[in-house]
Amino acid sequence: MDSLIVAVVHRTLVAGTPLLLGTLGEIVTERAGILNLGVEGMMAVGAVSAFTTTFVTGSILLGVLVAIAAGTFLSLIHAFVSVTLKANQVVSGLALVMFGLGLSGLWGKSFIGTPLPTRVHDLKIPLLGNVPYIGKMFFHQDPFLYVAVILGVVFWFGLAHTRCGIVIRSVGESPAASESQGINVSLVQYLSTMIGGALAGLAGAHLSLSYSRAWAEGMTGGRGWIVIALTIFALWNPLRAYLGAFLFGGIFVLQYLLQPLGIPPNILGMLPYLITLMVLVIAVIGKDARRHAAPAMLGEPYLGGEG
Amino acid sequence: MFSRYFKENFQHKIRKRRRKLKKLIILVGLLMFVVGSMSMVGTAHAGKKLKAGFIYVGPVGDYGWSHAHEMGRRYAMKRLPWLDSVYVESVSEADCARIIDRLIQGEKCDVIFTTSFGYMDATIAAGNKYPNKIFMHCSGFKRAKNVGTYFAELYQMYYLNGLMAGALTKNNKVGYVGAFPIPEVIRHIDAYALGVKAVNPKATVHVRWLFAWYAPGKAKEAAEALVADGCDALAFTEDSPSVIQVGQEHTEKGEPVFTFSHYSPMEKFGPDSAVSGQLVDWGIMYERILKDIHDGKWTNEDMWWRVKEGAAHLGASPDHKVNPKFVGKLKSIMVSTPDLGKISAYDLVMKRLDQMKRGPEVFDPFVGPIKDNKGNLRLKKGQRATKAQLLSINYYVDNIVGNIPK
Repeated sequence: MDSLIVAVVHRTLVAGTPLLLGTLGEIVTERAGILNLGVEGMMAVGAVSAFTTTFVTGSILLGVLVAIAAGTFLSLIHAFVSVTLKANQVVSGLALVMFGLGLSGLWGKSFIGTPLPTRVHDLKIPLLGNVPYIGKMFFHQDPFLYVAVILGVVFWFGLAHTRCGIVIRSVGESPAASESQGINVSLVQYLSTMIGGALAGLAGAHLSLSYSRAWAEGMTGGRGWIVIALTIFALWNPLRAYLGAFLFGGIFVLQYLLQPLGIPPNILGMLPYLITLMVLVIAVIGKDARRHAAPAMLGEPYLGGEG
Repeated sequence: MFSRYFKENFQHKIRKRRRKLKKLIILVGLLMFVVGSMSMVGTAHAGKKLKAGFIYVGPVGDYGWSHAHEMGRRYAMKRLPWLDSVYVESVSEADCARIIDRLIQGEKCDVIFTTSFGYMDATIAAGNKYPNKIFMHCSGFKRAKNVGTYFAELYQMYYLNGLMAGALTKNNKVGYVGAFPIPEVIRHIDAYALGVKAVNPKATVHVRWLFAWYAPGKAKEAAEALVADGCDALAFTEDSPSVIQVGQEHTEKGEPVFTFSHYSPMEKFGPDSAVSGQLVDWGIMYERILKDIHDGKWTNEDMWWRVKEGAAHLGASPDHKVNPKFVGKLKSIMVSTPDLGKISAYDLVMKRLDQMKRGPEVFDPFVGPIKDNKGNLRLKKGQRATKAQLLSINYYVDNIVGNIPK
């Protein structure tokens, strides 16, 4: 039983890692007022570019960097369409999904059915890794998980307590007011969208280099869409993203442990979305409704001021 | 003045060119006529060309079902010099009829292979619409004058995998990750469980369902759940090597998990974990079907090929039937059988394979007495399951734990 609990917690954290990475990026993007629905496409391109790069060069680090660059590049397309051209962000994001999935399929065609020659080893943190149970659950883990957890804290602190974070948030709330304060709205939105793309690419790299260690078409399996739901679940707060990502990851893992008890997997699969809806309802009718609301100008192209 | 000169000269040139063009068109037309009649003469003499269109339900990059069919198409292309072919991938069941129209009218295909169960009705309808074309539908049960069916059946290989899993398991708990609870998959699980039982009556078989044919993440978590539950030998039906990779990771950590590859050669994903598996060979079927059509010998009978006909192979790699790392171990495990006495697990696998190659009359896993796990006798002593019984099987045999989800 002990080993079962350790295994569940360990797997939950691993399954939640790509969700956490993607969600943190999408939170920054949306905080600056840009809705990027293209996470699934950026993740897929991140996964295929990481896999092919690592396969050819043998370097995991290089694969990760290329995935980040590929995700960033794709998000630049979205930024160009939605910030510079001020076009519909929903359409652009959906187009990015189709484009990313198609591109990744084409790119990876000759790498199907070939295992990755190298692997990402679990990293054991000295001292903490030796603590019974806890060590095995939390401190003998996938390096991607550590990166995601550290990024979460950095993003939370950055958004809540630094000038940079205030600038991003104010652009999402009121671009006109921000511009009158001398903020370059377009630049902030571009950079925020690129951060989202970079993290989606990183999440894809985790899937193909560490989680599956193989490339196959459609391997992102809808995680990009879960990220969109999680961003709302987290109410645009990086700390709540932890809760959401590991809750969704945990449900994914538990599905198969609970199956022998006769709990249909469909119901477990629905749970995260039901919880997201509940969170939304609570956030809207709750006391702190204003604090929990979406960035005011989310998805709205900023047409104003040419100075 | 100069400009007028240029203008006239230019118009003259154009007129000249037009005349040239007219001549050229006539010449090309004549040539086309001659070549056309020549090619018609040509076809009358040499064997005629044949063009086949393949429709796949998934991307050929799934490393499973559609990938295996694509390998089969390429094999047929290599073997048959008169064959021309095209394929369309990721065709949803609703789109099938439209794609058939395009392949026949646009691509001028003579034969259409529809490779998903869900294409069945569209294929039958197309058979009516194009009576002088031939259709082959994979895994269905409806036929017409110009519509045949074919399938490569793997349950015998699952039985052999079960023999090895039952011999190797230390915890006496064996796992299976299933795609959908339909007769095809249940037949595979039952055959696997019968193999386990034949060498290890104490072992139980545990199943997790994915409700997806292709879901690497889900397959991985389902395999992890089975390992966490104590299973140390895993087989599966899912189109990715995820289960093999889970086995490899646990084996590397010092807790050996034995895995059995599915459909495509997956040993390279788990060189220390993949013991054996099942490999499908559509190529040999496609070659035979196309040859029959080419030679005018084709009939619309149901081709249900097993190991005897060469559509199913044992192994996780095209190079060997059992991973050499496990041969010694399997040879050292002795088991007792009613017909062969005491024999090593390895020899038993090879003996049964040889018997099944000679035909299901010589040996078949589904011979009674077989009880389901509710205690009902499903096959009486000595009774061999018919094809119809196998195709509609909907019970777990008695060493499988749990119920089939509805």
